[in-house]
Amino acid sequence: MVYVVLIIITLYTLAPLWFLFTNSFKGQAEIIRDPLGPPTSYSFEYIKNAIEQIHFFRSLAITFFITFFSVALIVLISSVGAWILVRNKTKWSQVIFMAFVAAMLIPFQAIMYPLIQFFDTLGLKNVYGLVFMYGGFGLSMSVFLYHGFVKGVPKGIEEAGIIDGCNIIQLFSHIVLPLLSSITVTVIVLNSMWIWNDYLLPFLVIGNSTTKTLVLELYFARILAGQFGNPWELIFPSVLVTIVPIVIIFLFLQKYIVKGITEGAIKS
Amino acid sequence: MRRGLFVYTEDHYTIRRIYMDFYKKWFWPLLTPAIILFLLVILFPFIVGVLNSFLAWRGTYYFDPDTGVRAQSVFSSFVGFENYRNAFQDQRFVRALIYTVQYTLVAVVVVNFVGLGLALLVTKVNRGAGLFRTVFFLPNMLGGLALGFIWQFIFQIVFTNILFSPEGLLHIPFLRYMTQNSTKALFALVILNAWQFGGYMMIIYIAGLGNISRDYYEAASIDGASPMRTFRSITVPMLMPSFTVVFFLTLSNSFKLLDQNVALTDGEFNTRLLAMQILRTVRDTTPPDYGKAQAQAVIFFLLVAVITLTQVYVTKKRELEL
Repeated sequence: MVYVVLIIITLYTLAPLWFLFTNSFKGQAEIIRDPLGPPTSYSFEYIKNAIEQIHFFRSLAITFFITFFSVALIVLISSVGAWILVRNKTKWSQVIFMAFVAAMLIPFQAIMYPLIQFFDTLGLKNVYGLVFMYGGFGLSMSVFLYHGFVKGVPKGIEEAGIIDGCNIIQLFSHIVLPLLSSITVTVIVLNSMWIWNDYLLPFLVIGNSTTKTLVLELYFARILAGQFGNPWELIFPSVLVTIVPIVIIFLFLQKYIVKGITEGAIKS
Repeated sequence: MRRGLFVYTEDHYTIRRIYMDFYKKWFWPLLTPAIILFLLVILFPFIVGVLNSFLAWRGTYYFDPDTGVRAQSVFSSFVGFENYRNAFQDQRFVRALIYTVQYTLVAVVVVNFVGLGLALLVTKVNRGAGLFRTVFFLPNMLGGLALGFIWQFIFQIVFTNILFSPEGLLHIPFLRYMTQNSTKALFALVILNAWQFGGYMMIIYIAGLGNISRDYYEAASIDGASPMRTFRSITVPMLMPSFTVVFFLTLSNSFKLLDQNVALTDGEFNTRLLAMQILRTVRDTTPPDYGKAQAQAVIFFLLVAVITLTQVYVTKKRELEL
């Protein structure tokens, strides 16, 4: 009985993805006539067209670049920051930590216009600026997560390292970071999911220039082609190719992603 | 350490000093990158944003309401609470505010129920539980914009022409043309987000359910408690920490929702949520009124902050009482 319900829900969950798949092989007329069935012929012409229209390989590379470096920046800066905040307890460490936590209440909308203007005057209204902005935004939550985790990590091993004369880089990379690996997975998962799929910040920073991310390419393809009704024969294959990389990543790293989400949710 | 007490404490003391000095020496060097990034990306723009909400800000320049031209200095651009007054007089903003509150109320309830329901179902079975979990979680990995486009198709073509049309499976007029009416679009957005976020909330509830000790259930079954009673008296109270997390997440997600709103209706038919209203205000007028947009953004911040803090406070209190 439970299985019947579960299977119905599974079909419901997968139905939109089936529509996406099947309609990526159909022309506009066929999509409207028969939106649910399998295509009459598996023609890759629409997918090929979509790959060209959204500059798939270029935008994939750009999205990957932004996500990779933003997440690397966040992990590096927030892990060392949170660790030393816990280890050196002073009035300052309390104040700084509270500032990071309080910043989680600020929605992006409250700072986006001054932020973009400010980065524009710095000459950073581009992909590189975007990496720094993500670095700043991801910081609060990541420092919070690391801070909570480091509190539960015993100091013994580090202190042995200090006595043995490790320098700070050796100490952090060989002793501390391995101890933080489980929370690092969480931080990486949560930040990459958000940055990879983000629409608003790239829209404001990059807009309709040549360095668009996947999401932006999709948005502009839809806007430009959609002035006269909805060009489903372009939208479906475009959506399909933009989500294929993330679905593949998900299926491979599923275990870590689910673990990351669960821990992130419980800690915050 | 089997040494004399005196020697031991002195040793211990000096060693502690070494650690403390080490941590102290590295405190500022290790924190500086985080602080700089925080100041540049969050704090400085935030302060400028609040200040700008009191100025006749036009984006690239400041306007002087007295002379009617570009302001000579920032001070002559000061307009007090004018931007806030304008915001509340803007029908679109007021509508977006109400619409967002309505949407959030419905979405929080629905997404919670879906998440909890899925979690209870998945934990009931042994075989295939992992597979179901994977499938239900999958929509979360995909971007709101991409999913919004797929669901726009479902609402406009599949619902309207096939499932719920007069010749269709069931004739339900309410489920047709859902993207072309502000009330229906609200529910369309709820359907989309329940589909997308249900799996995420499920994961959190599954973790919560896993933390409840089997002993309680055994005790309940020995006492002959009905399944309903067991659920009410054991599962629900023990799940309180998960409720806190899920409420917190759905509340702030719904209140700040943007991508799905853009993809599904693009704010047509009075369906702008607050996040989109702030984004589009600068396109509503020429020259763009950034001052007004910023005032709306500050109001938005205050609402988000108040709701989140109240919510955390209330659920934490309830958790303690139980």
